[in-house]
Parts: sequence; C-alpha cells; structure tokens
Amino acid sequence: MFSLEAVKWINDQFKQTNELTEKTLEYEQKYMQLFYLKPLIDREMLQNSVIKPFFEMASENQFKLYLHALPQFQEATTKEQVMREIMNGSVVAVIQNEWYLLDFKLSTNDKVNNTSVETTIHGSQLALSDNLATNINVIRSYYHQPSLCVEYVVKGEVNQHKVAIIYDKEKVKNGVLDTIRERLQNVDKQVVSSTTQLNNFLNNKRLSLFPQMIMTERPDRIVYNIAGGKVILVVDGNPQAVATPAVFFDYMSTMEDNYHTLIISIFLKFLRYAGLMISILLPGLYVGVTSFSPEVFRTELALTIAGSRVGVPFSSFIEVLFMLFFMELLLEASIRLPKAISATATTVGGLILGTAVTEASLASNIMVIIVSAVAISTFVIPVNEMAFSIRVVRLLFIFVTTIFGLAGLTLGLYVLIMYLVNLDSFGEPYLQLYTSPKNRSKWERKT
Amino acid sequence: MSRYYYYLILINMVANIIASVPAILLHSHKDGAVSAMILAIFVGTFLVTVYTRFFNAFPGRTLPELLQKTTAPWFYRPFVFFLAVMWFIAGVITLITFVFLLIRYLTPEMSINLISLTLILSVIFGCLMKTERVFYTVEIILLITIPLILFIFFKAYNNDHLEWDYVKDAALYVNKWPNIDAFSACFFLFLGVANLTIFNRFFTEKQKFGWKQIFIIAVIAMATLFTTYFIPIGFNGLENIGELVYPWISTSDSLRMEYFIIERVLFVFLLFYLGIAFLSILIHWHASMEFLKFVFNLEKIKYKGKKFGKFIPVPFFIGISLILVQLLNEYRLFLYTHYFYNALIVIFPSMCFLFLFIKRRMKYAEQANQK
Repeated sequence: MFSLEAVKWINDQFKQTNELTEKTLEYEQKYMQLFYLKPLIDREMLQNSVIKPFFEMASENQFKLYLHALPQFQEATTKEQVMREIMNGSVVAVIQNEWYLLDFKLSTNDKVNNTSVETTIHGSQLALSDNLATNINVIRSYYHQPSLCVEYVVKGEVNQHKVAIIYDKEKVKNGVLDTIRERLQNVDKQVVSSTTQLNNFLNNKRLSLFPQMIMTERPDRIVYNIAGGKVILVVDGNPQAVATPAVFFDYMSTMEDNYHTLIISIFLKFLRYAGLMISILLPGLYVGVTSFSPEVFRTELALTIAGSRVGVPFSSFIEVLFMLFFMELLLEASIRLPKAISATATTVGGLILGTAVTEASLASNIMVIIVSAVAISTFVIPVNEMAFSIRVVRLLFIFVTTIFGLAGLTLGLYVLIMYLVNLDSFGEPYLQLYTSPKNRSKWERKT
Repeated sequence: MSRYYYYLILINMVANIIASVPAILLHSHKDGAVSAMILAIFVGTFLVTVYTRFFNAFPGRTLPELLQKTTAPWFYRPFVFFLAVMWFIAGVITLITFVFLLIRYLTPEMSINLISLTLILSVIFGCLMKTERVFYTVEIILLITIPLILFIFFKAYNNDHLEWDYVKDAALYVNKWPNIDAFSACFFLFLGVANLTIFNRFFTEKQKFGWKQIFIIAVIAMATLFTTYFIPIGFNGLENIGELVYPWISTSDSLRMEYFIIERVLFVFLLFYLGIAFLSILIHWHASMEFLKFVFNLEKIKYKGKKFGKFIPVPFFIGISLILVQLLNEYRLFLYTHYFYNALIVIFPSMCFLFLFIKRRMKYAEQANQK
C-alpha cells in the first residue's frame, strides 16, 4: 500500500510548510529515502544510527534488518499514522516501497522540575516534567506493578495533544474508568493544553465551584493515588497530573501527613481544618457580631470591637468587603506579577495600605487583623484549587450573613456541608466519613 | 445495628429539648410527669423494638413500597398522603419553634419571615437529596454539634447552681398516676424510629438487633429524659416551673463560661442546637417529600424532557410554613403541638397492626412466588 502515491500524498500534506526534509541516499546499489521535520528530530542520533550504518553496511537487506532491530523502530500501518508520527518527531525511511518509522524525537522539556506548588520539607523535592514520556517514566519507575496500565488518547482537534490515562488495573473501580473514558470521548475542544482544563471538560456541569479532580505535581502523590485505586490523567506538555475520583478530604491532606509521626500529623491536620474554618467563617462572624448580635461575645470583647470601630463610616459588611476586595486584588496581583516586583507589591499592599486604612479610619484595626488572619489561613489549605474555591465560598458567607445574621452564617455552614455531601466526583460521594466497617465492606465488594 | 440507625433515634431525642417537650413535661410537674416518663421509657422502647424488627425483616424496602404490594390503592394512596402530612407537621413544629427562639433571643429586630426563610431555604433543597446523602450530612453535622452539646450538658451537671434538692423533690412526685399529656410528649422522643418508613431504604443488609441494642436505646432515652426534665428543675426550682415557655433556654442562659470569648452559654446552645433542629427538619421533610413522591408518582412528571416532578412540593412546603409562622404564636403552637403529640400515641402503636398485616401478606406472596 505504500507506493509512490503515498509519498506524494505526504508531500502534499506538508506543502504549506517548508520544513519537511526529503533526503535521498544512494550508495553501492543501496537506495533510501528519508522524510522528517528538521526541528523536531535529534540530528545527531539520526546521523549515528541511520546514516552512518547505511554507508557501512554491505547489502540493503542487512540494513533493513538493522532498522528493524533499532529500539526506535515502529510499525507503519496507514499513511495517516505516518503523517502523525512525522509531526511527533519521527523519521520515515522508505526502502523499496517499505516504510520504516523511527522515533528520533528531540525533547528539550524532559528535565524533571523542582516542586513549586506543593512544596514539602520531607520527601522528594522533584516534581513531574513537561514531557509526557518522561512523566510516565517517572511514574513507572516509582510504581513497580505489572498491573499498571497506561492508555493514550489524543485530544484537542487542532493541537492534537496526547492524554495518558494511568491506573492500576487491579485496584481501579471499573465504573470510574468507564465514566472517564466515555467523558473523554465526548470532549470536542479545539485546543487542550492543560490537565486542569480536563477538570472542567469532564465533570459534565457548566457551573461548578469545587474541583472534582485533584491536581498534583508530586510523583509520590501520584503513586499514592494510583495505589488507592484512583485514575491519573496526564497531558503532554504539562507538569501537572490530575487524579480522580477525588473527595473533599484529599484536598485537605499533603503527602507529608504520611511522613510525620502520628501526633504531629494530627496536629498539622487540626491546624489545617482550623485554618479552613477561620478562612470561611471569620469575616462572616465579624459582620454578624458587629451588626446583628453584639451581645454574643463577652462584654469586654464586644466593647473592644465597638471601640475599634469608632470613626469607621461604613457598616460592617461594607468594611469587610472593602478590605477583602483589596486582599483578593493583592493575592491576584502577586501571582501575575514578575517575581522581582511581586515582593514590592505585597509590601506596598499589605503593610502600607493596612496601616494607612486604619489611620484614615476607613476600617477598624480589628478588621485589618481579621483580613490578614483570613489570608494566612487560606494559604494553609494544601491544595491550591481548593483554596481558590474557599475564597469564593467566603464571599458567599459574607453575603448570607449580611442578609440573615448569625443564624444565617451557622446555617450557611451546614448548607455548605450538605452541598459538599451532595456533590459527586465520578460517582463517588464528595464528602463522607469513611470510617464505617459497612462502607469498608462495600468498598471491598466493589473492588 | 448500623450507626446510621442510631442517628435517626438520637436526633429525635436530642431535638426535643428545643421543641415543646420539656415545656409540656414541666407543665404537669406535680401531677404525674415522672411516672409518665418511666412508663414512656418502657412503652417507647417496646415500640422501637417492634418497628426495628419489622423493617429489619424487609431490608432496603420502604413502607410505601411494602404497602403498594400488599394493600389496595384506595387505602394505599390516602394513607401515604396522610403520613406525608404528619411528617411535614413534625418538621414544621421544629421549624416554627426555632424561628420563635431565634427572634426572641438572637435577632429580635429581624422580620419573622426573613428568619423563617433562612431556615426553610437552607433545609428545603437538602430534602431533595438521595437518602444516603441525607445520612452522610446528618453524620458530619452531628460530629460537629454533639461534642459541644455534650459539653453544655457537662457544664450544666457540673454547675454549683444546680440544686439537687429540687431534683429530689421533683422525683418524689413519682407516686402520681401518669399524665397523658406528659406521656405523649415523652413518647414522641422514641418516634425517631418511625423515620425508618423511608430511611430503611439505606439499610440494605439485615442488621443485628438484640438485647444489647435495645439496652443502648433505653439508656440513651433515660439519660435524655432525665436531662430534659430534671436539669431545668435543678436550676429554676420546682414552684412555677410550669410557667416557663422555653425552660431549656432559660436554663442554658443561667450557665456562664467565665474565661471563653463567648460568655453566655445561651448563644452557643442556640447556634449549635440550630444544627440539630436543621437535621431534624431535614430528616422529617425528606421523609415527607419521599412519601409525596409515592402518592403522586412525582418522578414521572416531565416537562420538555426534564424531570422536574420532585420540585413540585417545594413551593408548597415553603408557602405553608410561611403562612403557619404568621398565623401561630407561642401559646397556640404549644397547644397544637400537644394535640399533635396526643394524636401520635394513637397512630403509631396502631400502625403495628398494619405491620402485622403486611408481614402476613408478604409471607403469602413469598410462598406464592416459591410455588
């Protein structure tokens, strides 16, 4: 099937670009044609493992056998596949109408990064790289089980990125896997460039606040999740993987919880949940207590708060929204700014603005304390995606308290819990206590 | 027994403290409240046993499903509708009581409609959840609230102002003939088990229910009843205790946490009991909605291909509760509540006969199936 026509077809496909190199080699009755995209391939490798042997070998047959034996060799079946492989950095060698696909891809992004999002003190400091092959190499070398499966899907109609679905065949729940495959099939986006994008494409909801896949860059976390029966998705060109199905408690744990001694990790977990509660409830509590029921706090404290608010011209919720708004701006700005400037921005924003606001009595001193406490406790949430969701939830809580008072705040918390319980992550309940032996037996039956 | 079963029972028991139960009990403190409580423990535990045994025999089946199989439609539909109304009323009582509490003690300036909307809106969408999800919610919220409520009880028992002499004095009235109002109020504590009519759907496996479980339930019931009745007496004295509208709120307001940022225990009590009330309403209304689904086949109603049937009861629930909040005041609520409780002591024991009937029919049906 691979005749001159096919060569012509491929040439036609690449007519628009001038980068397809076609090379004809002829020496001592040996004849070979090479096609490749110059920027994509490793030229030195091509030189050493194809061109040099071509001139050294005695016969064409010997050379053909040699090509077959190369580890980079890949069977060519259709001309579409050949075209795709050329774009992926393969070299096509044509000898007597026989086609040889050789993967000589030159990757400049296969260096493993340092952890930058999920930093820990204990444990490995290395993260994934931008290169899919390297990532799978990393994962495979940390997880030695023959049941580890990797499936590839190509997503994104224009940019044709490879997406790898990684799971342990013996541990994964089949229902989850089928749902993921089915939903991946339905993704018809033009460009898919990031794993976290899949979060939106796969959850079948237009409006969603809480992430249903957990983003991670740490190989140890990936391995831990695979061993726990989760499915990992990795997109080429992306140093982050997503694991699913994820439950709420996953977002509140770091890998370090397993590395510390028990009491220390309980303490750290307590800190984290306290931080979560503070960052959700504190601004709402301030509004509720100052504007609705100041008698809730003990008299001294109520007086201190009221005293600190003397001269503030706003009602408490405008004060809270005003300060929180600037805090959110500051957070957003410090992410987007170049590293050199962001330090200045935080100093100007945090220190100078904070002091000036209280001196101008646009906000009370206690408000500034609350805003900074809230900001710090948001950072305690270990998974970045959840921290973002919590920031939005906090605003909702302020609105609810403004309308319904302290009772509204309390009920808001219960409703939040109820909402989380009602959420699904690929068929698994998002929030649930897992301690019961009943559930465990259910789990065992399913797996 | 699965722990979720205990949650059903526990919530009804603990939630009564803010409802009219203590007020009704204390109203008859000199004519037979104590003996009524003792009687109720025996009768109530017996009823819990009967109900649990019955539903345990049909794992994963709800009462409407069983009725559908065994009884004629002319009986089935009105009866399930009647159950729906009863469960709705049980929820509404808790709702209105708590709305009155909030407006009295926490936010007196807010409009009563706004307060009731807060509660209704937060609960109503939860009622549409799946039954298992209701259980998970119950578990997590209980995990948050129960430790604090236990702490408050601990504070109360540990307080210097709790006069045990009053308690002993009150206990001496045990020789009076049981009072029917007091008995029905105590009896209501045990009716958490009746939620199995819907929530049995969750218990798909046969549970163990023997003497140990019965004993646990009886002990929990005794402890709750004792706390409900005697702690307010210990704090407020025996004379005129029947005049208090909210005995437990007055009691919790006499507790102080000297060194904490919130000094008056009342507010902690209110806000955390809000959680218990929330769960109580959630469970009752969820059951009510499920009953309605069976009566009107709501699942099948479609509009433009979208199933919206289960949302139909929502506006009715909101509307009726808002109207009731407007119409009632504390005195009338108290009056109607105790009529309701009195009706329950007839209805629920007589449902046991229905169970007997269903059990026989199901047995025949199974035998017919085997042939």
